[in-house]
Amino acid sequence: MRESRLMLLQYATALVAVVLVSIHLVMQGVVLPYSTAISFGNILSIYRNWIYAIFLEALLVVVLVHGFNGLRIILSELKQSRPWSTWIDIGTVVAVVVTVAYGTRTVILAVFA
Amino acid sequence: MGAVGEEKARNRRGIRGWLNPYHYNAERWAYVFQRVTGVAVLLYVIGHLGDTSFFVGGPTGTGPSSSSWAFISGIVENSFGHLILILLVLVLVFHGINGIRLILTEFGIVFRSPSAIEFPYKPRALSSGQRSLIYIGIATAVISAIWTYLVLFEGMG
Repeated sequence: MRESRLMLLQYATALVAVVLVSIHLVMQGVVLPYSTAISFGNILSIYRNWIYAIFLEALLVVVLVHGFNGLRIILSELKQSRPWSTWIDIGTVVAVVVTVAYGTRTVILAVFA
Repeated sequence: MGAVGEEKARNRRGIRGWLNPYHYNAERWAYVFQRVTGVAVLLYVIGHLGDTSFFVGGPTGTGPSSSSWAFISGIVENSFGHLILILLVLVLVFHGINGIRLILTEFGIVFRSPSAIEFPYKPRALSSGQRSLIYIGIATAVISAIWTYLVLFEGMG
């Protein structure tokens, strides 16, 4: 993907992340007391709510794509060479896939198991 | 070292170059903090993926487990863990608001029109509006961190 498109992706995921992360934080201590919000029963009821489960999956994907693409941008600026760019591009894709897969596993097991 | 060599060295200072405060303006500091806070938040998110996975028994779990959740809660839900959360909110809120400022400047929304260079050589393109967003970001981050402290340590919320 062209660098300009990757920057647009970075900005788009940033704006979506601002909304999703804000909602996520408000749920932990504003809507509910913190001790209630992190209780096992409350978290289970949240995962078993389809809307919130989809919300958590979207949060996971958006934040990890934004985070690892941001790290890729920082690393790209530190050193310029074709092999370096290739390696950090591959590393970024692998990191996003592995972390999204691990987080998705948690969501799937919490929802269905 | 010749002039070309010095120029190359100056352009390849890497992370040391970020952290050298010499001749930095507010925007340059915001640039440094955007990157430092971004990396810090990414590290937290990776850790958070690990601790939330204990809701389903950890890496080898097969479904929701209250004992596994109690185990990880016993490790992270303490004063040190809450201090980390307060710092997280501090850097996260700054990163978010400063990121919005960067997007607005990228698309020319909060930039002033450039003009001829005149003494005292202040960059005309940088508006006070976009700079005030940096300070709004810092103020909101501090207020959010104080709120987080009240939620975690004083039972508010």
